[in-house]
Amino acid sequence: MKTRRDFLRSTALGVGALSLSPCLKAFGAEAPANRFPKRFIFIRKSNGEPPPALALPTFSAAEKALDEKKQPLEVDLDKHELPAWMNSLAKHKENLCILQGLSSKMSENGHASFSSVMGAYKSNGNSLSGIKRATIDFELAKLFPSPFGHIELSLTGDYSKFRTGIVAGYSASGPHQRNYCYADPQTAHNELFRSVTNPGAVDTDNSMLKFLEGEESFKAGILQGYEKLKLSNHIHSIEEIQARNLKLSKMAGSIAKHIPQLDKIHANGGASATTPEKHEAMTEVLIAALITGLTNVVTYTIDDLGTPIFGLPGNEGDRISLHVIGHNGSYSGVSADTIREKVRIGHMEQIARIVERLKAEPEGKGTMFDNTMIMYFPENGESHHGLGLEAPFIIMAGNNCNLDMTGRYTRLPYHATEGHKTLGNWYTTLLNAHGNPIKHYGDLDIEMSRLKYDQMGAISRFIA
Amino acid sequence: MLLRRRQSNAFILPPANSQMSLPDNHSIAFATAHRIVGFAFPLVMLPAYLCAEPANIRIDPKIEEILGFYCTDCHEEGTEKGKFRLDNLKELPLDGLLDVMNRMHEKVHFEEMPPKKKDQPTEQERKQLEDWLAGVLEANNSSKLADKLRMPAYGNKVDHGKLFSGKYKDLPGFTYDRRWLVSEFIFDAKINKLLEFVGQRDIDGKRQPVIGENNRNSAKINLTNPFLLPTHSGVRYYDTTTLDGGHLLTMLTNGKELSAYMMTRAKGRTYVPAIYAIMGKEWEQEKILTDRATYLKAGIEPLLIEVFKDKHDSLLPKFTATKPSPPVKVGPDGKPVNLPGFDYAGMSAEDREKIWAAIRRYSQDGKMDEAMIVRSERDWVNEGLSEREIVVRVNYMRIYMDEFFRRMPKTVPAAPKPPAEAELAVMRAALLKHRKAGDNYSTLIAKCVGDWSDEFRREREKTGVSDEQIGHLVDQLFNRIIERSPDSQEFAEYSALVKSYLEKSGNAAAIEKLIQTLFLRTDYVYRHEFGEGNADEHGRRMLSPRDASYALAYALTDSSPDKELAAAAASGKLNTREDYRREVERMLKIRSQYYIIDESVELLSADSFTNIPIRKLRFFREFFGYPRALPIFKDNKRFGGDYISVSGRAVSEADLLVEHILEQDKNVFEKLLTTEDFYVFHSGNNEQMANSSAYVRKIYDYFKDKDWRNFDGLKLKEHLEFLKANEVRGVNPDLVAKSTGGKESMGGFVSTMSSYEDLLGKGQANAVPFSSTPGHGKTEAMTRTGKQMRGPEIAKSFNIDLKNWNYPVTQPTKMAHRKGILTHPAWLIAFAANTETDPIRRGKWVREKLLAGTVPDVPITVDAVIPEDHHNTLRTRLDKKTKEEYCWGCHERMNPVGLPFEMYDDFGRYRMEEFLEHPENLLEKRPDKGPPQDDLRDIFKTLPVDASGHLEGTGDPQLDGDVKNALDLAERLGKSAKVRQSIIRHAFRYFMGRNETLSDSKTLIDADQAYVQSSGSFDAVIISLLTSDSFIFRKPATN
Repeated sequence: MKTRRDFLRSTALGVGALSLSPCLKAFGAEAPANRFPKRFIFIRKSNGEPPPALALPTFSAAEKALDEKKQPLEVDLDKHELPAWMNSLAKHKENLCILQGLSSKMSENGHASFSSVMGAYKSNGNSLSGIKRATIDFELAKLFPSPFGHIELSLTGDYSKFRTGIVAGYSASGPHQRNYCYADPQTAHNELFRSVTNPGAVDTDNSMLKFLEGEESFKAGILQGYEKLKLSNHIHSIEEIQARNLKLSKMAGSIAKHIPQLDKIHANGGASATTPEKHEAMTEVLIAALITGLTNVVTYTIDDLGTPIFGLPGNEGDRISLHVIGHNGSYSGVSADTIREKVRIGHMEQIARIVERLKAEPEGKGTMFDNTMIMYFPENGESHHGLGLEAPFIIMAGNNCNLDMTGRYTRLPYHATEGHKTLGNWYTTLLNAHGNPIKHYGDLDIEMSRLKYDQMGAISRFIA
Repeated sequence: MLLRRRQSNAFILPPANSQMSLPDNHSIAFATAHRIVGFAFPLVMLPAYLCAEPANIRIDPKIEEILGFYCTDCHEEGTEKGKFRLDNLKELPLDGLLDVMNRMHEKVHFEEMPPKKKDQPTEQERKQLEDWLAGVLEANNSSKLADKLRMPAYGNKVDHGKLFSGKYKDLPGFTYDRRWLVSEFIFDAKINKLLEFVGQRDIDGKRQPVIGENNRNSAKINLTNPFLLPTHSGVRYYDTTTLDGGHLLTMLTNGKELSAYMMTRAKGRTYVPAIYAIMGKEWEQEKILTDRATYLKAGIEPLLIEVFKDKHDSLLPKFTATKPSPPVKVGPDGKPVNLPGFDYAGMSAEDREKIWAAIRRYSQDGKMDEAMIVRSERDWVNEGLSEREIVVRVNYMRIYMDEFFRRMPKTVPAAPKPPAEAELAVMRAALLKHRKAGDNYSTLIAKCVGDWSDEFRREREKTGVSDEQIGHLVDQLFNRIIERSPDSQEFAEYSALVKSYLEKSGNAAAIEKLIQTLFLRTDYVYRHEFGEGNADEHGRRMLSPRDASYALAYALTDSSPDKELAAAAASGKLNTREDYRREVERMLKIRSQYYIIDESVELLSADSFTNIPIRKLRFFREFFGYPRALPIFKDNKRFGGDYISVSGRAVSEADLLVEHILEQDKNVFEKLLTTEDFYVFHSGNNEQMANSSAYVRKIYDYFKDKDWRNFDGLKLKEHLEFLKANEVRGVNPDLVAKSTGGKESMGGFVSTMSSYEDLLGKGQANAVPFSSTPGHGKTEAMTRTGKQMRGPEIAKSFNIDLKNWNYPVTQPTKMAHRKGILTHPAWLIAFAANTETDPIRRGKWVREKLLAGTVPDVPITVDAVIPEDHHNTLRTRLDKKTKEEYCWGCHERMNPVGLPFEMYDDFGRYRMEEFLEHPENLLEKRPDKGPPQDDLRDIFKTLPVDASGHLEGTGDPQLDGDVKNALDLAERLGKSAKVRQSIIRHAFRYFMGRNETLSDSKTLIDADQAYVQSSGSFDAVIISLLTSDSFIFRKPATN
C-alpha cells in the first residue's frame, strides 16, 4: 500500500502545488546523454467525437454487436480496415490505437470544456479559480524538460474570423494559472524561432534581464536574512532565464536548419488563409518545434466551435460554422455528418504529416517518432453537447512507447460499470509510465464513487 | 552577532568565548530560535573531509545531565520512542546530527517534550538546552526553526496563555522592515489601475464601478496573475512568500502584453504624455497613412479614372467570372438541405456590408440576377480579394439574397469624406507612380502606403529622441508603474538604459522595453514597509509616511492609497498614532466603492459584491473558509437536485450573512458563531424579494380559479391583456395574440402555474420566487446585479420543503437546527469530502481557529483513509480507525469537536439518521430528473446519528465538557473568551501578514479589550491593530 510518504515523494504535484519553480526548471535542464526525451502532442478537437464514427468497418458481427452495446472489446488493427476518414493513418496502423470507452464526466462537457478536459476537474465555466491543478501536458513537460517547457497552439475563432496573436490558452501550468497560446502560425513562428528570425529582439531582452539582475543584486547586497532571500530567489530566476536565452541562441544554427518557411498569406494573422492552409502551416511550426528540441510537449487546439471552416474541399464556397454543424446544419447540400467527416479527414492528414515527418528524423538507432505520442481527442466528449460518458482517443505512438497499446482497437468497460476507466485513469497511466508514480491524477467520477466502483490509478493493461 | 557560514560539510561551532545574547525585545519565542549560544561549547570543529564520519560531538556536562534526566530514558537504544534516539549523538555524522538537533530544537522550543505526564525541566534548564541547540544549529547555518516560525502553520505555537497573561505586555511591539509580495487581489487592482481599466456592474439598477475585476476581455488584454494565495482556510496572505521562477516567467509574458497595451493607451496623449511626445509624430504619420489607405480602399476607383482616364480599364486585373451554380436546396439524399440561418452562416460584418453595397450599386430595381453577381465579382477582383473569398461572397448572395434584400439597412453608409486637395494630390501622384497593368487595388494601395511609410521614416530619423524627452519618459513611467518618482541614481541609470534600447531598436520597441523593465522590478510586486527617521530607545522607527499610507490602504482594501491618504502622507499628516486612527476610521466608513468579492461565485449566477472595505469582509471569508465549498465536486443525485447552482448560492448567501453582521458591528464574533438567522434564496434586498414574491402571488391568484390546467391556446388568449401586463415565465404574449392563440406557450404556462400551485396552493402567505421553467430572460426574481436568481434548492440544504415553505421575504430569518456560520451549508460543504462528511477537518478547524490549538500534520507514514463499511455510520468507522493509541494522541484534539457536526450531512442538511449509501442498502430509487421542488434523492437504509462530542480547551470549566451536538458546541464557543482571543490572533496575522510573538502581547490584549469595551465591534479591533506598535513601528531585519 502506498503511504503519504510515497505519494509526497513521488508526485510532482506535491511540490508543484507549493511552488512554481518546477516550471522554470522544466525548461532549464537537458535530457541525459544517450537517453532521448519522450514527446507528447495533445490535439484537442471541438464539437465532440461520436464513438460510432471510430468503429472499424470490418468488425465481425460479434465484434460489432459488442462495440454497439459498449461492451469491452479489443481487436488487432492489422486484421481490419480503418474507417475511411482515417485512411491517411492506414499505413501507420502498427502505431495506432483507437481507444474507446474513456469517460470525461469529471471535466466539463456541453459545448466546451476549456482547460478542464486536460486537468480532469470542473473549471466552473472557465473561471480562473476553477482551474484546479496543472493540466496533464504541463505535468508531462516537467518530466521531460526543454527550452520552452511546453508550447500551446490553437486555431480558434469567432465564427467569421480566426483569433490571432498570443491569446488565452486552454492548458494550465498550475492551479488558477491559465496558459497562453499562439493563435496563428505566423505568431507561433515569430515567437518560437525568434533566436533566428529576430536576434536583435533577443539581444534587447537579454540587455533588460542583465540590467534587472544588476539592479536587484545591488539591492540584495545590502539586505540580510529572510529579506535577502526574497530578492536572491528572484535574481536566481533571472539568471536561469538568461541561461535559457543563451541556450536558445546557441541552438540558432540547428533551429535555422529546420525552421519552416510560411507562405505570406499567414502574415499579420493570415486573415484570408483557408482553414486547411492554417492547419498545414501550424503543423509545420509544431513539427519544427519538436525537431529542433525547443519543446517536448505541444498542446494544439485544432479547432473550437468558433473556428471558421473556410476552404474545405467540396465546400470551398462556404464559411462553415462547427456550431451549425453540431446542430445538424448543411452547407451547399453537404450534410452535417459529411462535413464533420471532412473536417476529421483534414485533422487526420495533419496527424499523418506529423508522424511521417518525425519518422524521417533519425534519433539514436531509430527515429524521433519512436519517442513520440500523439493524442487526438474531443475536448467535450462524444457529441456537440457532450455528456462526457465517452471521450474517444486516437493515439499514435512510436516503437519506444512506454505503453503497450498500439496496433489495437480497444473498448474499455462503459461508464459506471465495473472496470470502467476515466480520463483520470488515462492521465495517471501516462504519468506513471513516464516517471511520475502519482496514485491518481485528477478528480474522481462522482457516479463511480456513488456506485462504489474502484476508479483509482493507472490502466494496468497499458503499462508495458 | 557573529555567525560563520557553513562551508562544505564542516561542523562549525559558535565562538568559544562569545556572550549569550539576551532575548531580543521582539520576541522571546522568535529570538530563541535565532539566538546563538553564549557559553563555551566543548565541541570540536571537524574538517570537511570528515563529514561522513561521526561528528564526535562533545557535550557540556550540564547539557548531558539535562538530556540524561529528561530525555534519554525514552529515546535510547531499546526504547527509541518515535524511532528517535538521543543516546548516540556523538556517533552521528554531521548531517544526521543536525537533523536530530533541529527536531530536538522544535520540541524543546514548543515545550512538546518531555510529554506532559513526565517530569518537566525547569525554565532555566529548558532555556539552557534550547540555547545550546540554537547556537550549534545557527553556527552551522542549519537552523530550521526560525523559518518555520514565520509560517502560518506555526502561528498557534506561541503559547496563548502567555500572550494574553499580561506578563509580556511591556515588551515593545514592532514588525521588521520588510518587502511583502503583493497578493493576487492587489496585483489585479494594480494592473487595473495601470491600465485605467475599471470593471462595472449594474447594482440595484445603477451602473457602478467596481474594484476586483480580473476579467479584462473587454480591454482585449490577456494577463495571467501569478501571485496566487494558498487556498487553505484561515489567514492566507503572509509576508513570507518570495518571488520565484514561476512568477518571473509569467511576468515576462505579462510584460509584453502590458507594454503593447500601454502603448496603445498612450495614443490618448494624456495617459503618459512623454510617450506621446516621442511617438506622437510617428503616430500622426501612421494616422495619415491609415486615412489615406482607408480613403483609397473606399474610393480609389474615381481617383484612378481621374488619373488614368480611358487607360483605366486596360490596367485592371484580369477577370473571369465564377461559373454560376444554383443554390442547393435538396441534398443528395433527396431531403431538403438544412441550411444555417442568415445569422449563423459565418458571415463577417465586412462580407455583409460589401454585399449590401453591391446590391445598392447593381440592383437598384430590387432584382437579383447573374449579371449583378458578375458585376459584383468584377469589383471584388479589382479590389484584390482572393478567388476563394469571392466564391464565399457569391455563395452568400445566391443562398441568402432574399434575406439580404429584407435586411437591407435603411441608412446608406456615408461616402468617405474627400481629404484636402493637397492630400488628394499626394494620392494621385502615388497612384500614377506605382500603378502597373494588372495590379488590383489592394496591391496598388500597399505599394503607395509602403512608399509613404518609408518617406515618413526618413523624415523622423532626421530628429532623434532628446535627453529631455528620455528624462520625462523615465520619470512619468516610474510614476505610473512604480507609483513614485525615480531617485537621482535611478533616473541616471534608467535614462542610460533607454538610450541603449533606442540604439538597438526603434522608438516604440524601446519604450515598450522600458515599460517591461519597470514592470519586472521587484518593487512593482513587493510592497515596501520600512521604518524612517530616528530610532527610539528600542531601536524602532516609525513607518515612513509613504509606506504607512500603502500599509494602511492595503490593510483595508486591495488598492493603493486613495487621494486623502496619499495627501496625508505627502503633507506630514501621517506621523502619529492619531493620524493613523483618523485615516483608518475614515476608510472604514466608506460605502461608496463597490468590490467584487469572488468572480467564481458570479460565474455561478449569484451575486458577489460588497461595499464595505473588502479586506474586512475577506478576513471572515478566509478565516471560516466557506468559499472552499466551490471546488468541492458533488453529485446531483446524492443531493437530490441541481447542486452546481446551489454551491454558488450557498457561498454568496454566507457572504451576505457575514456582511450583514459586520454592518451591525455589535458582538460580531458571537453572532457569527451563534446566529440563528440566515439568508436562504435571497438577494439581500428585502423590498426586491417581496416584490418578486408578490408577483408570483398576483399571477397565481389571477389564474388559480380558472381551470388553467385544461386551457388550450385559445382559452389562454382570452387572458391576453393580463399576460401583456404581467409577464408569465414561459409565455410569449406575441404568440398568444395570434389567431390560433398561445398553443406554443401552453407548455411553459402549465409548467409555471403548476410550480406556483406547489408554492402557494397549500395556503402559504408568500411564494418562494424561483423559476421552474429554464431559459433566458427575466425570471421571477433577479439578483441585485440583474442576473437570473438561481439555486432555489439551497433550501434543501436547510431542510426546507419548497412545496411547503412560507417564504420569508425579509431576511436574514430564523432557521431551525442552525446556529452560526459553522452550521451554514457553505461551511459544512467546504469541510466535507465529495461523498461524505469530514469530521476530522471540521474538528481540526475548530481546534486551530477557535481554540488556538495545534494539531500536528498527519505523519507521513500514515495512510489516512477511513475504511469502507456500508453497514456502519461514518462515526463508527472513524472511531474504529482513530481510537487506536497511536492515532488518538492527535485525533482527540479533532474528533470530539468535529463529530458534533455529524448532525448535518455533507450537503449541510440537518439529519437524525445517516444514509448508508451503498447499492446494497438501496430502499427506493427515485427519478433522476424533476423540478427543483422535488427531492430526487434515492433512499437508503439508515442508522441513527450520534452527534455528541466533547469540548476541552476553552479554559473555562463552565464551557468545557460533553456537548450534545453542534448547536450546543456553537453556543459554548460563542461564549468563550479564548475563542474571542483566538479570532483576534487570526485578525492580527491577517492585518500584519505575520505570526504574532510575545512582543505583540500588548497589541493583542489591546485589540481584545477594544472589542470587549465596544460591545463587540470588529471595527474597534481593526482600529486597535492598525494603530498598535506592532503595526506602526519597524526595526531593521537582521540575520
